[in-house]
Amino acid sequence: MEYKMETQNLNVWYGDNHVLKDVDLKILENQVTALIGPSGCGKSTLLMTLNRLIELIDGARVEGRVLLDGEDIYNHDVDVTDIRRRVGMVFQKPNPLPKSIYENVAYGPRIHGVRDKKKLDRIVKKSLQAVGLWDEVHDRLNDSAFNLSVGQQQRLCIARALAVKPEVLLMDEPCSALDPTTTRRIEEVIRALKTTITVVIVTHNMHQAMRVSDYTAFLYMGRIAEYGETEQVFENPKNPLTRDYINGRFG
Amino acid sequence: MKRSRTYKELKYLIRRLAKDRVVAALSAVSSLPIFVLLLIIIFITWQGLTAFRMLGLEMFGFRWDAEYGYFGATPLIFGSITVVAGALLIAIPIGVLSAIFLAEYAPHWLRDVVKPMVELLAAIPSIIYGVFALVFVAPIIKEVFSLPSGLVALTSSMILSIMTLPTIVSISSETISAVPKEYRRASIALGATHWQTVKGVVIPTAAPGIVASIILGFGRAIGETVAVALAIGARAKVSWSLLEPMHALTAAIIYVFPEAAYGEMSWYVCFGLGVILFAITFAVNTVAGFILRKVPKGVVQL
Amino acid sequence: MRQRRIWEKIVPLALSIPASIVVLTFLVVVVVVGLRGIGVLSWEMVATSIYHGGIAEAVVGTLYLLVGAAIMAAVVGIATAVYLVEYAPGGRLSRIVTQALNNLAGVPTIIFGLFGAIFFCRILGLGVSLLSGWLILTCMMLPIVVRGSQEALRMVPKSFRDAAQALGASKWRTIRDVVLPTAAPGLATSVILGVSRVAGETAAILFVCSPVLAPLPKSPLEPTVALATYIWLVLMTQPDPERALALASAACLVLLVVVMLLNTVAYAIRVYYRRRWGRIGV
Repeated sequence: MEYKMETQNLNVWYGDNHVLKDVDLKILENQVTALIGPSGCGKSTLLMTLNRLIELIDGARVEGRVLLDGEDIYNHDVDVTDIRRRVGMVFQKPNPLPKSIYENVAYGPRIHGVRDKKKLDRIVKKSLQAVGLWDEVHDRLNDSAFNLSVGQQQRLCIARALAVKPEVLLMDEPCSALDPTTTRRIEEVIRALKTTITVVIVTHNMHQAMRVSDYTAFLYMGRIAEYGETEQVFENPKNPLTRDYINGRFG
Repeated sequence: MKRSRTYKELKYLIRRLAKDRVVAALSAVSSLPIFVLLLIIIFITWQGLTAFRMLGLEMFGFRWDAEYGYFGATPLIFGSITVVAGALLIAIPIGVLSAIFLAEYAPHWLRDVVKPMVELLAAIPSIIYGVFALVFVAPIIKEVFSLPSGLVALTSSMILSIMTLPTIVSISSETISAVPKEYRRASIALGATHWQTVKGVVIPTAAPGIVASIILGFGRAIGETVAVALAIGARAKVSWSLLEPMHALTAAIIYVFPEAAYGEMSWYVCFGLGVILFAITFAVNTVAGFILRKVPKGVVQL
Repeated sequence: MRQRRIWEKIVPLALSIPASIVVLTFLVVVVVVGLRGIGVLSWEMVATSIYHGGIAEAVVGTLYLLVGAAIMAAVVGIATAVYLVEYAPGGRLSRIVTQALNNLAGVPTIIFGLFGAIFFCRILGLGVSLLSGWLILTCMMLPIVVRGSQEALRMVPKSFRDAAQALGASKWRTIRDVVLPTAAPGLATSVILGVSRVAGETAAILFVCSPVLAPLPKSPLEPTVALATYIWLVLMTQPDPERALALASAACLVLLVVVMLLNTVAYAIRVYYRRRWGRIGV
């Protein structure tokens, strides 16, 4: 079976620090895959290798293959900007661009060549609707994005990522800075996205993983200690480490 | 027992007094800058007002010829602004683009070589730039444009542009480097190239700081004396042509003042010119401060 | 989007052109001044009096001016910085003082010259003298020295102060025995940078200290020439233009060397102490 994304023998170093060790992760299409594990075990790093954002970090070294639809995204002749369009990302702390709400969402399509104003309007509207922001902001699209609440800003960032029509959406603890209500809203969005997009979500919150994901990978000290359907991983983990983590034996 | 207690209290008091004295002395010394600034404003204005009182509107007349008692400052103001405008025309594109290069594209080793050079450019005293203008720039201008003399406004503008570059380059490149990493990451994650990120996010965000650096450069250039005095040709006139000798506020002061005896008209007029210069500089710096305050939320200030 | 890829390669190359112009300009200025000067300058010249075709008084005069100003500016500037950082950071007086210093930094040097002429020379009756020169240069150096000293003091780790005070030292003792010595390299750097900034100062010194060529002062109440004013005066008064430029170039070279040296020393102190302490001392 071909997976939407797959890592083969993935190893990552920060300088001399071996952060990810022989990671073989499988991401199925149109499913939500959760990455859980204690702090510092490499979840965010793993996420960043999936859209080559790891290359922005000084001193980071990647070995192994990362496949998107069967093709290694680290190949020399691959257009990395195209990869990043196809594999979008939402960060832990909302990071709207210092522009208006409209311009934030329109930024992505613009840099990929969309110039027609009507088309941009449509894209902005659809993206904002997908995250439930349209009703709240449609009358003030030219306001600065910083005037939104933190929860709204994060939803804006999701809308922004969706505007370029990604095939995969990477989410790095998207709700950790947000209140429970906003968290639920975003989880709804994720569930709705599943039908068209593949989602990979890093989360600290095991309940969230259980609510939202179909598959779960448990990362421990840079290795995948367990992987499987979410229900199975949480109710019947094969690895004793997983059981310890789930039961809160270590952070 | 009693004696030792009084003794202790006394020691405590003396120590408190000594400490207070230190604080008092330090705060007195610290207020010196305030006094100096106030004194400067007061005295320059006081002496300058005498000129304005005696000459009235003549101070803004169109003829400047100190030897014959013509003290119209308009050609001087005009010359100062023209020469500085010319300097900025050269310095802004070179300065801003260099700053972008240094902050975004230059490898670390190159940055470590060029930045000290820029600082050293700023450290070179203006009199050396004046001599440089005389021995190098002026002869070239004279040749290239077939002029009777190379001491013209253009020469002054070129020298001033060299002197203004460091301000623009260092402040602009600092502003650009200070644009938060989060913005860049967001842009890259959407699939933007480096240049798209620079053009679409970094520069717009750094724009207020860049503009402020230009305005600061203007302020410094207009107050520049020696280099301008040596290169400009010292012919007071109102003219648009950069290929003619001109005169400037600062140059006029340094030519006239050494010959002016206290109490003479020319003495007071120099202060009057100082007032005009002060006013222009003050206005310019206030505008720059204003722009810097307008920097939107989430972007670093200087 | 191959268009984007081509653009990505062009932009850095295009942007390197203005940057190269900046570097080129620097090199041209230094080389031209250097070569012109070397052609004329000799050790003899430095030792010969200005009345006999040398530049001795200019060099020594500059030395007198800079050393005196450095001492004054160091005392006033460091004291001010100590007050601003240690005693009343954020206080009302501090804010006004900082604002005043910022404004002072923006004042054109010729205004300082005019101010010195009326205030120090006339009103305080110091006349055209070395002392007036010291005072006006100190005023001009203050913003740089205070700013640099503030930074140097701020870099002293809080733990140092806490340790001293835990041992029972008073605030002033702590500053005197712990903070100041630790910040010393940074403080020195700020003074050196201030000196470098005024070393080539012409207009201000011309008005308050050396309106004409003068012999070496025997007391601070006498006028002096400095390198910068010597250059100006030679260019203005020397009848033979060739000779004028020659003498000026020689003095320019000396001045350039002085300024470069001061900057290099300041830079070296910064680098050395950054390596030793990790950013203490600016």
